Amino acid sequence: METIIYSAALLAICGIVLLFTSYLENRTGEKVWKKVTDNMELADEANIYNLECDEILIGRHAMADIRIQDMSVSRYHAILNVTDGKWMITDIGSKSGVFVNGEAVRHVRLYEGDVITLGNRSLIFRKRVNR
Amino acid sequence: MKKALTYLISCVFVMAVHGSMLLTVYNNGKYDSVNDVITLSAAVILLDAVYFAIMPLFKQRTYAVDFMLLLILNMSMIFQSCFGGVHFDMKHFITMIAALVSCRIGFMLCRNHRWIQTKKKFFWAGIGILLVVIFLFTGDRSMWIDLGFMSIQPSEFIKPLLVLACATSIGEQQNRHKVGEINIVYDNVIIFGITAVVILFQWWCRDLGSIPTFAAIYASCFFMRICYPKAKFSRKTLIIAGSVVGVAAIAGIILAPAYVKARLFADIWSNPTGDGYQQTKALISIAEGGWFGKGPGYGFLHEVFAYESDIVFATISEEWGLLFAIMTVLMLLLIVAMPLVNPPRSYYHGTMCAGVCAAFTTQMALNIFGSCNMIPFTGVTLPFISAGGSSMVTSGLMIGMIVAAQSPVFTNPKKSKKKGKQKRRTV
Repeated sequence: METIIYSAALLAICGIVLLFTSYLENRTGEKVWKKVTDNMELADEANIYNLECDEILIGRHAMADIRIQDMSVSRYHAILNVTDGKWMITDIGSKSGVFVNGEAVRHVRLYEGDVITLGNRSLIFRKRVNR
Repeated sequence: MKKALTYLISCVFVMAVHGSMLLTVYNNGKYDSVNDVITLSAAVILLDAVYFAIMPLFKQRTYAVDFMLLLILNMSMIFQSCFGGVHFDMKHFITMIAALVSCRIGFMLCRNHRWIQTKKKFFWAGIGILLVVIFLFTGDRSMWIDLGFMSIQPSEFIKPLLVLACATSIGEQQNRHKVGEINIVYDNVIIFGITAVVILFQWWCRDLGSIPTFAAIYASCFFMRICYPKAKFSRKTLIIAGSVVGVAAIAGIILAPAYVKARLFADIWSNPTGDGYQQTKALISIAEGGWFGKGPGYGFLHEVFAYESDIVFATISEEWGLLFAIMTVLMLLLIVAMPLVNPPRSYYHGTMCAGVCAAFTTQMALNIFGSCNMIPFTGVTLPFISAGGSSMVTSGLMIGMIVAAQSPVFTNPKKSKKKGKQKRRTV
């Protein structure tokens, strides 16, 4: 009976160790994600938006990943995608359109320092600032 | 260096668990010759060592799920080899290796969602082919195809395909088409149709136990679609969908055949030698096993039909104790909960993890609660613990999907040869 108790205890410890290992590896994964996304972020005058997913919806809707509460912004305004470390922005049928550095666009690659205008709001696409 | 150290520590702990279990078999187990224990130990330790050596060849962000998979599989090997006396269960060993191989295949296949989303029609076709196979080669009261040297359950293979079909359709939510007065997404209609046909086929085969698993996969993916920001689900749509599910469930219970109704409301203790035979024996053996069990190989449940598959939780409880059986189930839950520790970075991977998690938890609930008489007995397998090649391979494939979600790739399937800045397309 004793050996069964030891086995069960060891199994519990093993589960905790593997969970902790996974947590540690997740922290390494954050660095990998920064590489994948070229360590970029979006910012406006008041807010900074981390880009934590490979597909990000910008809009006024409550479910949007980046929610901008401004009536000039459509509920489903634009989508950001990252592939091969390159960010793209796509207009998904917004009323006021998507402008990058003042130029109206439908689907375009973003570069560091680009200014994205959605309705009356402007966002800057920049390298992540260490906070 | 840090990663190598955590890898090494994980290896040591997994091997220590298997070592302690083998020591338990040696000390408390029922065996005719010590050679049986040595053969079993050699197989378990060898598989551990080989898999630990092979794993680093696959570049992954995390190996935690692989360690958990190997931990559970070799625990299962030890359990299965001890039922009714210690012996080396060669068949289970082979199916275990098949599960590990299919896990690698699942991982390679599902890492890059941009690539796999271009292949979604193959998954629809795969499900269609399996349904035709079920229609042609299984009877209306069977779900098995007997090949002589082995039996295959084709419906098991539909599970990972349905998960993939749901996950690959998530990106299509924006592509709405106006049909009459309503806007529809073709992929949603196709996935709903596929799920409905699969469930009807399961009904036809009298494999009612699998229906909740398919329904759970679809429900989890439907939920993910609601969460998907682009989905634009209205309250009206949700109310209609909820009503349809409710009506279908009530109609299913009312229109169910007599034998299903009898099983839904069965009193197993009124007929312990007939319909309630397996469950009464299972409950008695769990009680007899107590917290710490009778010892590996000393149980009597191995004389009952499906002791190694449908009522395997009770068989483990009897020989290894309820504590160890619960710990095993917790480890299974931990493996499907890993996406909470390492969250997926795309909606595709999130949907895939949700589908796998739904399939595993439903199967576990049906198996464990069914053998404990808390819900009707369905005869569904406990993933990785129950014997059965089809179940092992598909479960391995689904865990491969979770591994893929932990180490995803975000690259385009076809790399553009053009270099330099891409020109802006202006309106």
